[in-house]
Amino acid sequence: MGVVMPLNAETAQARTQRVVNEDSTDIALFVRSSQDDMTGWNRQRIVDALLRETFIDRGTAEKISRDIEVTIQAGKVKTITGPLIREMVNAKLLEMGLEEARRMHTRLGVPLYDVDQLLVQHNKENANVPHGPEATNLTLAEGIKKEYALLHVFSPDVADAHLSGDLHLHDLGFIDRPYCSGQSLEYIKKFGLNLPHALSMAKPAKHAEVLLAHMVKFAASLQSHFAGAIGWDAINLFYAPYLEELSDDGVKQLAQMMIYEFSQQAVARGGQAIFSDVNIYWEVPKHFVDVPAIGPGGVYTGKTYGEYEKQAQRFAWALFEVYKEGDAAGRPFFFPKPLVHITEKFFKTDGHMDFLHHICEVASVKGNTYFVFDRGDTAKISECCRLSFKLEASDIEDAKQPWKMRYSALQNVTINLPRLAFKAQGDDTKLFALLTEKIQLAAKAHGQKKKFIERLMSLGKGGPLSLLAMDLDGEPYLKLHRCSYLIGMVGLNELIRVHLGQELHDSDESIKFGLKVIAHMNIVCNKLAESMDMKFVLEQTPAESTSFRFAKLDLAHFTTDAEKVVQGNREKGEVYYSNSTLFNVGATMSPIARVEKEGLFHPLIEAGSITHIWLGEAQPDKEALASFVINVFKYTQNDQIAFSPEFTACLACGKTSRGLSEVCPYCESKDVDGITRITGYFTKISSWNKGKLGELHDRYRNVDRFNQ
Amino acid sequence: MQQSQAVSGSCGSAACLPPIKGFLETSFIDWPGKLCAILFVGGCNFRCPFCHNHPLVLAPEGMETIAFEEIMSRLAARKNWLAGVCISGGEPTLSPGLPAMITRLKAEGWAIKLDTNGSRPAVLAQLLADNLLDMVAMDVKTVLVQEKYERCTGGPVDLGEIQKSIDLLRQSGIPHEFRMTITPSLHTEEDIVAWGKQFDRSCSRLTLQNFNPRTTLDALFEKKQGFAPEIFSRLSALVA
Repeated sequence: MGVVMPLNAETAQARTQRVVNEDSTDIALFVRSSQDDMTGWNRQRIVDALLRETFIDRGTAEKISRDIEVTIQAGKVKTITGPLIREMVNAKLLEMGLEEARRMHTRLGVPLYDVDQLLVQHNKENANVPHGPEATNLTLAEGIKKEYALLHVFSPDVADAHLSGDLHLHDLGFIDRPYCSGQSLEYIKKFGLNLPHALSMAKPAKHAEVLLAHMVKFAASLQSHFAGAIGWDAINLFYAPYLEELSDDGVKQLAQMMIYEFSQQAVARGGQAIFSDVNIYWEVPKHFVDVPAIGPGGVYTGKTYGEYEKQAQRFAWALFEVYKEGDAAGRPFFFPKPLVHITEKFFKTDGHMDFLHHICEVASVKGNTYFVFDRGDTAKISECCRLSFKLEASDIEDAKQPWKMRYSALQNVTINLPRLAFKAQGDDTKLFALLTEKIQLAAKAHGQKKKFIERLMSLGKGGPLSLLAMDLDGEPYLKLHRCSYLIGMVGLNELIRVHLGQELHDSDESIKFGLKVIAHMNIVCNKLAESMDMKFVLEQTPAESTSFRFAKLDLAHFTTDAEKVVQGNREKGEVYYSNSTLFNVGATMSPIARVEKEGLFHPLIEAGSITHIWLGEAQPDKEALASFVINVFKYTQNDQIAFSPEFTACLACGKTSRGLSEVCPYCESKDVDGITRITGYFTKISSWNKGKLGELHDRYRNVDRFNQ
Repeated sequence: MQQSQAVSGSCGSAACLPPIKGFLETSFIDWPGKLCAILFVGGCNFRCPFCHNHPLVLAPEGMETIAFEEIMSRLAARKNWLAGVCISGGEPTLSPGLPAMITRLKAEGWAIKLDTNGSRPAVLAQLLADNLLDMVAMDVKTVLVQEKYERCTGGPVDLGEIQKSIDLLRQSGIPHEFRMTITPSLHTEEDIVAWGKQFDRSCSRLTLQNFNPRTTLDALFEKKQGFAPEIFSRLSALVA
């Protein structure tokens, strides 16, 4: 078909150029006039717009503008506005069969009714977005950017695949940003806070508190340039050179400041807390032992990081003391998420059992701890709900100058697996062919986003991504050529259920088939990576709302098939597919079996996986948890685990109790909210979407004593 | 009135293994400091109104019995993970086949924790003498006052037997725990203090559990509340 690709290099470039040259403020102004008063009405504006925005000829544009003028003069329209004229022109273009011109002339916007609803009601697509004016700004802006992305960044086949639910392009509302960023504190320790467009510039911090202030501000700037998580590598180690002067109380105070700063940052972008992760090591990771340490003032201390083990451990211990206490109401801190790396060296480092008991106690009491397992020589930096970057040879080389360690995934595209099984109708060959096709489409989507970001980055320091173009160490902050492109999956369990008639937990045969599916995805990714020279890696998509969206779309379009396999409560609309490669959350499986069996999939999923153990009310023994964690490291292939307790926060008396109750056990008020992990982070249950509510109800909490 | 001897599904002979009605492969909470599996034995001689495991007590014959061999093979697969096996119920000591079952588990190298209500000191004494137990948790439902105790057990109880079991554990030299589930309608603060005083805290671990109104044996108890969390913490501190 004669469709001009939306990313047609010439037009798009010309357009970008225009946006840069013209001050976009003008574009925002409305034309507003009335039938009685046609002053200010200028037919020529229609012609100009059509010639500027589409490929139609001047004659046609003139004709359209005259037709519109006649309609307005003859019609009963009392008030005429810019948007209305545009829609009338669009109707005319359609009438004349100029579909492509109509598409290019589209106006992106939001109906009045929707805006009214939005300003008043809570948007629950992301439970980390509160309700407020900043949040509605975010939602409105995201809405328009999303439409823009689907019309203008992605090709129609990709956009259709997203809209129909074959796949999900994540964070479309953040089309002009990469997905997530992981980095080292060394960057601001070495260069200070020196951001493009900032009102002032700060030299490298001399004191621990100032370093913290720099870190928080830098994280906030990064949040406004990335869609998702902002992660920090070996945070306790890189703080260590600043801690020597501090007493234990001082270190605890610093830990407390850091955790409160990140957990109370619900004032930044869209009123959203920064989705922040801190990676913590008990040992000094091998690749940092001989690295010269940067200390106060951004100067080398003359020691290596290997010599800061004790200081780093002091900070790690203090951070978990703060997590254990929780906030002023005893609730768990939602951010920053602490990821403790369990490695071979961990077990060879003095005091590791005490530390393990300490973090297991936090896991039991508040649930914060993430246990990340780096077996053998693997080194990883983790962030987001489960995303991790395996450090390769070039990264280990960078580790000698840790400020160079910056990792980013540019985008995440998730594939709706159950739908492939509906279409394959039991035929293996067809299933794998369809899967290949969808991965290719996902890769195509990645290529289109890459091109778009490249274009923005090419505008350099004067462009919209000046922070990412910032070049303090010989390379832009965002190293585009080293970005990863994530391919995720939702509903492996339901694919298997459709294809084989049983779920993953039902038999070894279904697990084997599941492994075949994921292995196939992996192979296709690797092949595409080679041919397209882009790093495609599998990730277990957190799919906070995607698992709900896919299930809902399939119920609408593949009703008979989907009815048999969607999870949750269909009457209440609380439907979902199992996340990624996770087993049915309600399956009666012992935590050992779950960690072991879900872990079989983890080696195939390079960008990270997790197994959740839902604890419900039970408050496990820390020694029992520690022995469990050690065994997960020793006897399974599982990448990462977290234990999730549940809490009831009373809005009347302000107290927090264990377990989910409808009535506060302290004051018997019914004005309560539940708190537990939604996907990879803790939130208030009142902010959850319906799919996740359905899942919460189904979660197996290891208490059903007579069925396991 | 005779105490119920019914051990449903059991043939009553020592050669018959206790009827296992439930199996939890992994518990983080039942054995202090250890990850353990739990076997639930059907049948009980008490009718505690707040009991959560009441299907095991009232109608164990309606529940499927899990073959012991199946349990043994599932346990064997978890040898690396589990530090022991907890035998709970119901009341396991009512089953004549309990020693035989423990002997077989011990032969496979499993450490054993027994949960008991202490109503069968003779069985307990034999198990201890044969070195078959590594840890015991005994429910001592309230102070040893006939009327109070029977309100908690929902039927007749021989307090002499209970006392014998307490003494046996005290002198056993193995780790043990006396525990009590407390509810505002059955336990006063004085009861709780007096309960704590009968034990030697230097050799026995004492634990209180707060009553939870979820699925209780006596449906009336589902309408009752446990102690408010701060009161429960204060009461726990009284016996700690």
